[in-house]
Amino acid sequence: MTETEVSAAGRAEEAPGPVEAPEAPEPASWRATLRSAEIDARLAGMLIALAIIWIVFHIITPGNTFLTPRNLWNLSVQTSVVAIMATGMVLIIVTRNIDLSVGAVMAVVGMTMGAIQHDFLPDVLNRFDHPATWVIALAVGLVLGAAIGAFQGAIVAFVGVPSFIVTLGGLLVWRGIAWRVASGQTIAPMDSNFRLLGGGSEGSIGGTWSWVVGIAACVGIVLLQLMKRRQRARFGFALRPVWAEIAVGVVGCGAVLAAIWFLNRYYLPAGIVEARGLPPGTNVSQGLAIPVLVALSVAVVMTFIATRRRFGRYVYGIGGNPEAAELAGIKTKRTIVKTFALMGLLVGLAAAVQIARLNAAVSSLGTTMELSVIAAAVIGGTSFTGGIGTIAGAVLGALVMQSLVSGMVLMGVEAPLQDVVVGIVLVLAVTLDTIVRRRAAA
Amino acid sequence: MARRKLWALLALSVLVFAACGDDDGDGDGGGGTTGTTAEGDITVGVSWNNYNEERWALWDEPAIQAALDAGGAEYISTDAGSSAEQQLADVENLISQGADALIILAQDGEAILPAVASALEQGIPVVAYDRLIEDPGALYITFDNVEVGRLQAAAVFEQVPSGNYVFIKGNSADANADFVHSGQLEVLQEAIDAGDVVNVGESYTDNWDPAVAQTNMEQFLTENNNEVDAVVASNDGMAGGVVAALEAQGLAGQVAVSGQDGDQAALNRVALGTQTVSVWKDARELGTAAGEAAVLLAQGTPLEEIPETLIFDSPGGNQMTSILLTPIAVTQDNLDVVLDAGWIDEAALCQGVESGSVAVCP
Amino acid sequence: MTDVAKPPLVELRDIRVAFGGVHAVDGVTVDLQPGEVVGLVGGNGAGKTTLIRTLSGAHRADSGDILIDGESVTINDPRDAKTLGIETIYQTLALADNIDAPGNVFLGREITTRFGNLDYSAMEDATRKLMNRLNPKFKNFVTPVQSLSGGQRQSVAIARAVHFNARILIMDEPTAALGPAETNQVRGLIRQLKEEGLGIFLISHDIHDVFDLSDRISVMLQGRLVGTVNKDDVTTDEVLAMIILGKLPGEVTQKDLAELH
Repeated sequence: MTETEVSAAGRAEEAPGPVEAPEAPEPASWRATLRSAEIDARLAGMLIALAIIWIVFHIITPGNTFLTPRNLWNLSVQTSVVAIMATGMVLIIVTRNIDLSVGAVMAVVGMTMGAIQHDFLPDVLNRFDHPATWVIALAVGLVLGAAIGAFQGAIVAFVGVPSFIVTLGGLLVWRGIAWRVASGQTIAPMDSNFRLLGGGSEGSIGGTWSWVVGIAACVGIVLLQLMKRRQRARFGFALRPVWAEIAVGVVGCGAVLAAIWFLNRYYLPAGIVEARGLPPGTNVSQGLAIPVLVALSVAVVMTFIATRRRFGRYVYGIGGNPEAAELAGIKTKRTIVKTFALMGLLVGLAAAVQIARLNAAVSSLGTTMELSVIAAAVIGGTSFTGGIGTIAGAVLGALVMQSLVSGMVLMGVEAPLQDVVVGIVLVLAVTLDTIVRRRAAA
Repeated sequence: MARRKLWALLALSVLVFAACGDDDGDGDGGGGTTGTTAEGDITVGVSWNNYNEERWALWDEPAIQAALDAGGAEYISTDAGSSAEQQLADVENLISQGADALIILAQDGEAILPAVASALEQGIPVVAYDRLIEDPGALYITFDNVEVGRLQAAAVFEQVPSGNYVFIKGNSADANADFVHSGQLEVLQEAIDAGDVVNVGESYTDNWDPAVAQTNMEQFLTENNNEVDAVVASNDGMAGGVVAALEAQGLAGQVAVSGQDGDQAALNRVALGTQTVSVWKDARELGTAAGEAAVLLAQGTPLEEIPETLIFDSPGGNQMTSILLTPIAVTQDNLDVVLDAGWIDEAALCQGVESGSVAVCP
Repeated sequence: MTDVAKPPLVELRDIRVAFGGVHAVDGVTVDLQPGEVVGLVGGNGAGKTTLIRTLSGAHRADSGDILIDGESVTINDPRDAKTLGIETIYQTLALADNIDAPGNVFLGREITTRFGNLDYSAMEDATRKLMNRLNPKFKNFVTPVQSLSGGQRQSVAIARAVHFNARILIMDEPTAALGPAETNQVRGLIRQLKEEGLGIFLISHDIHDVFDLSDRISVMLQGRLVGTVNKDDVTTDEVLAMIILGKLPGEVTQKDLAELH
């Protein structure tokens, strides 16, 4: 780094140091505020759309059950599986590829993890619920998922078969193999430690720890702001006005803590309180569910990978202009393989959450899941033309879809009609996006 | 089970050697004609739609073969590998091999019609096995799906004569989902009309997917503030999702739950007390009935003279001569039925069951 | 002007490239000295770009040798070329439209912190300094280059090529998308880089550009090298005759030259 910098400075005719005159602070329009808050307009738009969906459902569901701590807690858990996979799908679609096999890979990995913890390890370790069981089962699942992803990715990148075809084949192959793992039988129950991954009353971290997580997130937000500010000051770039900085920090922190406060008002059900020997009527917060923590961690890590690591930069570079990426010296093929391997790893993680939540590995695991995952990424603003899409958008997309489905179940809308609504929303979201983008380009 | 362990071992080696796993299956060589067992003047051809499903090889085929042996008939078979087109060719193939009667497990009850019509024209009787073929000339042998629903509802109703009920139905595109549900309503309608049973939530389930059933159940519990007393779930997989949702609320075991299929996991839940009933259809009974009927038909017995037949009004408007077998409701009281039948072993049935809490688990 | 004792900075020797039986480049030999600009001219499909792509690593030659400082080297891909100090400004610019200017300048060679994370500020700072010299009007460092004008995009492509201490610069139509002011800027830059001792291959349609900037001119026609001439020894008409008729200045007649006009 220093080397290149010196060369740049050496060739520049002026002395090194702040070159640019400080830019005039941007006008304090809402747009500029959003930009300086690093929330792009489309993400803000999605948040508004989500808020509208929630409020409308709250008003029209019988008993106004939608905006209750319990329902939102449910929603958070129900969203996590698709959200985990959607973060990987963003990178796949950004590189102008697609992965249709995620549902089937989820089945084969889920069945494998189920078989390992239900049939194999209890024999080897000589008992059920051995403390090592969940670790081994999960590790096998992640490695198997990543290996399958890398294998498919290698065919796409090195052999040059279109990813649509490779993963369409994968969809059929892996689904069939998943079936054979247990000859179509359901494997249940799961290891009791492994089940914590799925949430439920045991798989939640409780009120106190939820506050700890919330405060840690808060500190993280502030630290990120400070670091960024220091970085920009280091090079003498224009700084965001202090009031804006504080406003962003307060809004970000406030949102996190408000969410924790709201969800913490979902208390353990009476039956569980009783089973734990607490006096009846005690209010014990469930706290954040472990699958939700997993999904949030995945979202943070994936955002970091996508925006702060070379790999992420290469993914977007390839998506923006594959030839330019190649000419820039990026190992494009290897990068593609990595995106598929990463997708597979996330599918393995999602499969673990799903079978833990269901307390069973079923060979129909993840059927049509690929469609939900792709839809979440696309509703979240990922474009099939490549190079465009954000992790946060995909997670929000998954939340929008699950909100629609959960709300409609509360309203008693039948399954086929739910599909109709989700389908319309999908097309509507992309249509809006296309129009906005076209207008922005014009 | 052994295959699962083998797979688990294989997959574990993935971790150890960081190598890619491989399919353990050498397959059953789909497409071809498999061997013959008994000699006799009569040949019965069986067309499987997809022999790869474990059930057929494990339970149905041996029962059919035994019945044919007893009747002195020869067994030949084909496997369409889940292809409706292949199955058309398979049926012709069986006829040209000299089949005197056909047993067809249809991949697609509509697509198979031309082949069935052609067989019937050649005087070769056809047994529609397990799945409906809409041709009144064929003999339809299946378990009574309406009865499945009746048994589910009856077992749940016996435990919860009044209270809030949730109905987790099957895939909306599957006729069986409605058959089962109509049976459930036959039993419960009176109590619903009287106000004893309140329907507080009802939904179809895409692909009979347990995960969808779980999500739906969570929503019903939220909507009703956990005031649910019974769940009539149409199969065992979905019952598993329902029980997982109930467990999260500490309600498992307190809410009656139904299912069907006699899944190992479901029977284990019945033993544990978290599921009330699993309606079990003994595939061997089906195989025996089909084998016996095929022999009789091949000997020239007219359809209507086959014993135990009745007329079934099919959804397609045909009056099908049918044998509708009665499924068995397996509850904690009669778990010995599945154990004695060798359907499940004691270890799987009693896993995690407190000893002595159920008669069959020592 | 060429120093005979020293081997040339670059020599492309007897390069051949064929696309399915068509000889796009057929036994071409050119060379380049440090501090020299060699103009590469020829009509459409003459093979200039294909020849130069073998040097930038975008395409492998079927046969022939590439020598740097007199030593034979193998260039299999753009990474090899960059390692040897060869930078290229492609006619298509080869920019990732969805990424901002600093991101494009450093694409594939990002500045990272000691933890391996992208150092956005350092890259932006370096790009600001570069642009201050190349195109002071350039202010847009945070939006995707998609939304930039043709001239600004060209600036980004040039910035990328000059930032990394190149010894050899390949410029394929560097002024094609530019207005007069920006074109002058690029000309100034080329002279400046030449002063600094870089060797530059300049591909251009604009014969005036070539005459203005080059020391020598290599002319290609239908995949073959017509010849290489010192700029000072020839007239534009003679070069035009080479481009169009494939005749060297000594072979060309007054009649030929007349027909060109």
